[in-house]
Amino acid sequence: MFSASSSLTGNLIQMDTQQKDSILTVSNLNVQYGSFQAVKDVSFDVRAGEIFGLLGPNGAGKTSTLSAIEGLIKYTSGAIIVDGYNAKENPLHARASMGVQLQSTSFQPELRVGEILQLFAGIYGVPLANGRLDAILQEIKLEDAVNKKFSELSGGQQQRVSLFISTIHNPRLVLLDEPTTGLDPQSRRQLWERIEAIREKGHGVLLTTHSMEEAESVCDRIAIIDHGTIIAIDTPQALIDKHKNDPEAIAVSRRGRVTLEDVFIALTGKAVRS
Amino acid sequence: METIIPKISTSLLALFKADITTQWRNRRSVVLMLLVPVLITISWQSAIRLTGGPFVLSNGIGLGLIAMGLMGYSNSIARDREKGIFQRLRVAPVPSWAIMMSRLLVQLIMMVLITTIVFIVGKTCDGIKLTPIGYILTYFTAFISGAVYLSLGQVIVGLIKNSETVNSTSRLVYFVFVMTSMVAVIGATSHDKGLGTMIANAVKWTPYGTVTTMLSASMQPEKWTMDTTWALLITIGYIIVFAGIGIQKFKWESK
Repeated sequence: MFSASSSLTGNLIQMDTQQKDSILTVSNLNVQYGSFQAVKDVSFDVRAGEIFGLLGPNGAGKTSTLSAIEGLIKYTSGAIIVDGYNAKENPLHARASMGVQLQSTSFQPELRVGEILQLFAGIYGVPLANGRLDAILQEIKLEDAVNKKFSELSGGQQQRVSLFISTIHNPRLVLLDEPTTGLDPQSRRQLWERIEAIREKGHGVLLTTHSMEEAESVCDRIAIIDHGTIIAIDTPQALIDKHKNDPEAIAVSRRGRVTLEDVFIALTGKAVRS
Repeated sequence: METIIPKISTSLLALFKADITTQWRNRRSVVLMLLVPVLITISWQSAIRLTGGPFVLSNGIGLGLIAMGLMGYSNSIARDREKGIFQRLRVAPVPSWAIMMSRLLVQLIMMVLITTIVFIVGKTCDGIKLTPIGYILTYFTAFISGAVYLSLGQVIVGLIKNSETVNSTSRLVYFVFVMTSMVAVIGATSHDKGLGTMIANAVKWTPYGTVTTMLSASMQPEKWTMDTTWALLITIGYIIVFAGIGIQKFKWESK
């Protein structure tokens, strides 16, 4: 009796600690478009100092989940708590606590990089005193880009500006939707260093990616979503260990050992999604 | 660490600075917006004798405001929606209404610019002078008139998602308004009283007709009649209906 009660108390303490440690908590999230249910009872959390990957084939519900967290779409039911703020009850606080890099970032094509940075600094209430803008541009290695239009920058430079804007207000949670798509290896490596630096500051990062190698090497934990439901959630290594003897994972394996990509294909199927 | 929400005035100022810069860099569209009213005001000089200066000025201002609402506002909203510019702004801690408010403030400046330029051209080229109260009242009614065309532009971007289709539709509607203005001037200058009255009645209660009636009367307040009051009320009715449909149907993304 004592032992059961102690164990229960222990679990409660652990849950409480985990929740306190969570920068993002998604509970039983449901998103519906007309009669189509895009997200079904999705629950996960992103903790401080963690890079959490949300993986899934095309149309699995990744972007819908992310859009619901970002406040871009209304969710049918469930709860989203960002840094202690309920996204439905305090949407502005929730949005102020997160930085977002969308899949395809676009800014007014008439604006120059310096003006874009000033716009978002103003929106997030970050003062940009004289000289601060130059310091920022130097930090992201874009000293010469202040008077350039966003479209005149290379893919890597655009990503640097976008990531900087996402974190301009030093948010506790950073959401990145396929951040490395279209980048060359150098830019990708540099981007990962920046994302890891965010983690080292104790902030949480939630990202989506189609690159399993990246997810395996960078993410602390991952969730695999398919048909709107989370079908696996754990550290990349734990998922690989769990499925290393799975005949389906072994069958799709191409390197003589089971990788995260093999686990992913074993769980979500080989069929190409539109 | 407590999350700080930036003051709405700070966010609005940042948005406004960006929007006004965007408008300024789109000088070609601004020039096109001003071109038709200026041409109307100059080329209809001969109509002044028959219709009076306020009729010409009100048509010039009216067409400028239509170009602003249909070609300027609706096209810029459709483009920014399609490019995902709104989505980027909406994930920031700024209310959606503030994003639109900033756009509308820029259009308010455009209304002042169009009205002022038509006044200057009217005075310089046609010698049309108004009383101080006439000028003030015209600015006020120009805002109401501009609101009709902005809300009509909102209906277009509310009902149509594709930016190319928005562009072609707004051009088509603009052309209809230009034709209506031509019909109105034919009616006003016609020697055939029967035909003139028939055309005037047909145009009178259209969004174009109520706006020009109101603008024209505000330039000479002593000629404000019951019909002008009706035109004002109907104009407000148009704004409510168009804005209601446009806002209700509007989607922030084009997918």
